[in-house]
Amino acid sequence: MKYKSRLNQPHNLPGTLVCVEGIDGSGKSTQLVILRDWLKSLKQDVIFTEWNSSDLISQTTKLAKKKNLLSPRTFSLLHAVDFADRLEQIIIPALKAGFIVLADRYVYTAFARDVARGVDPSWVRKVYGFSVKPDLTLYFNVSEEVSLERICANRSPKFYEAGMDLKISNDPYESYKIFQKRVNEEYKKMIDEYGLVEIDANDSIHNKQIYFRNKVKEVLAQKGIIL
Amino acid sequence: MKQYKSKHGYEGLLIVIEGTDGSGKSTQINRLKRWIEDQSYGVMVSEWKTSKFIADAINDAKERNLLNATTFSLLYAADFADRLENIILPALKAGFVVILDRYIYTAYARDVVRGHNIEWLKNLYDYAPEPDMVFYLDVPVEILLKRIIGTTGLDYWESGRDIGLSTDFYKSFQIYQGKCLDEYQKMIKEYGFISIDGTLSEKEIHKKIISEVKNILDM
Repeated sequence: MKYKSRLNQPHNLPGTLVCVEGIDGSGKSTQLVILRDWLKSLKQDVIFTEWNSSDLISQTTKLAKKKNLLSPRTFSLLHAVDFADRLEQIIIPALKAGFIVLADRYVYTAFARDVARGVDPSWVRKVYGFSVKPDLTLYFNVSEEVSLERICANRSPKFYEAGMDLKISNDPYESYKIFQKRVNEEYKKMIDEYGLVEIDANDSIHNKQIYFRNKVKEVLAQKGIIL
Repeated sequence: MKQYKSKHGYEGLLIVIEGTDGSGKSTQINRLKRWIEDQSYGVMVSEWKTSKFIADAINDAKERNLLNATTFSLLYAADFADRLENIILPALKAGFVVILDRYIYTAYARDVVRGHNIEWLKNLYDYAPEPDMVFYLDVPVEILLKRIIGTTGLDYWESGRDIGLSTDFYKSFQIYQGKCLDEYQKMIKEYGFISIDGTLSEKEIHKKIISEVKNILDM
């Protein structure tokens, strides 16, 4: 029995799955919130789900991060647990009920970050083979320099977001740039591989939202929902 | 000079004891550990689901009945990855004889019964080193049932109640463990398990195990 990843086939559920991806400071969360409010104002059924937020495991992951105890592979698996939990408890039921599901980060975050940490790309993709293919994924492309400016305007980069566990550099700012550059490189590989839609994160909030709404309208129109 | 004849290239040896709950693994592991120590080797034992952080998360989730087949599988995989990197590999590299109470075959058996695809599972554990020897303690389900009921009692997860095989505890255990046994049977040949009749006396089983282990220790 050959294993077929669900990530490469349409989900055939009544709902619509829209995801945003990109490194921190790319403005993706802001865009998703504006989009959600717009969809709600049009009386659409919408739910929102965030990366690493399930009750099941997120506390364990946070605790382990604090103590810097786990290897990249173990981390990868813990994030997969979190994702699998949200997928089965939140995302799939909502898609079955016809909701528009808005996901702030999806499996591509794992593919980008874990691989940037040295995890085998094919291994982590297969681990997430149980996931549902999104109807639309926007990749907010922002440079690591801009990301650093926005994220660290009033604080220094945190241990993991700077990839300090990889011991690339003792300087958190320097380490942040090197690590996030790797993450961005992994995202860029996925534009073709998974059909991520790239959006220039340097554009204005207004322009990005117009572009985002148009993309969402297209996807919904294919399902017979005209906004 | 290499101390042992190992399959995975590390200096130590990796010996696995597999079998379902109540098959007598722990008893045999204790005896084997003592015996190997008596031969002047360093021995380390590691049990399934005992990593620091993750084991607690698993127990907590099980208690609150929060797991589905996928999170169940991935949490155990995370526990394994953590133990492998922090406990098992360092011990193997240092030249210990590592005895493992359950290994990836436990995950294969349980997760296939819970509906997962074996190819997905093999990928999940594809970095695990090949053991030098795997013992499988084969015990029929009726005897397992008696042993479990007489000691710990039937447990929700050991009885596979999460997959809804039967609302009757006894029956659910019977079906679930029966299916796990079928999976183990399939793996005997594929992975070259040394299958031992687990209904023999403790002493007889121990003798069989050490007669095999002698072949991979330099003695």
